[in-house]
Amino acid sequence: MATETTSDKQAGKNRVQPLDAIQAAADYGIDVAQLRDNLALTVAERLRRHQIALNTVEKLQKATRR
Amino acid sequence: MSDLLSLLRRVSEAGIEFVIVGGFAGIVHGCTYVTQDIDICCAFAPDTLLALQEALADLHPVHRMTPGRKPLELTAESAGRFANLYLDTDLGRLDCLSTVEGLGDFAQVKAASEPVEVEGMRLNVLTLDALIQSRQALNRPRDREALKQLQALRALKEGGAKESP
Repeated sequence: MATETTSDKQAGKNRVQPLDAIQAAADYGIDVAQLRDNLALTVAERLRRHQIALNTVEKLQKATRR
Repeated sequence: MSDLLSLLRRVSEAGIEFVIVGGFAGIVHGCTYVTQDIDICCAFAPDTLLALQEALADLHPVHRMTPGRKPLELTAESAGRFANLYLDTDLGRLDCLSTVEGLGDFAQVKAASEPVEVEGMRLNVLTLDALIQSRQALNRPRDREALKQLQALRALKEGGAKESP
């Protein structure tokens, strides 16, 4: 039977608990619903959406430099 | 206009072994921010860097951190002198790192990675746990939001949030 070592206990102690992590993100102003939506996407879809957002950012940056 | 996936494809199709790390790895895992560069970790052997240079040759790669943005012109001799390469290309910015804070060198980074399939490419990306570990080790103010997002993503996954295969 596996036993928990002192380092396991320490690692567990340092690890943010799931509900705490979600609450901490929400308190920080992060849109947790959007994170949840992203998890439902494939990796390719996440990267495609990021590329669309990046293109928009670059267009706006270019426009503001004029 | 940047095209980060095409940039990755260039490097991947050149047969260069690498791991996606940093902000773009966060995007792979589901982060919501926008990043304008790709960070990869690879072996900094001269052969690898020369292959990278060849793969990017027609994309006008330059050292983006140097005054005057010097063109990437590695030789077998000079390739051995770099620990990191911060490049700008026609397809976007590519930062190549020999080590990752909190994880170690390429072998250690690779051991902390997992494969993902994207548009016919098999890419290695840092696991969510390893990404969190590296962000915690960096401990920079600019990493705080990314760290909070990554920890929340891990919590959502552990809590059974619906995840795409």
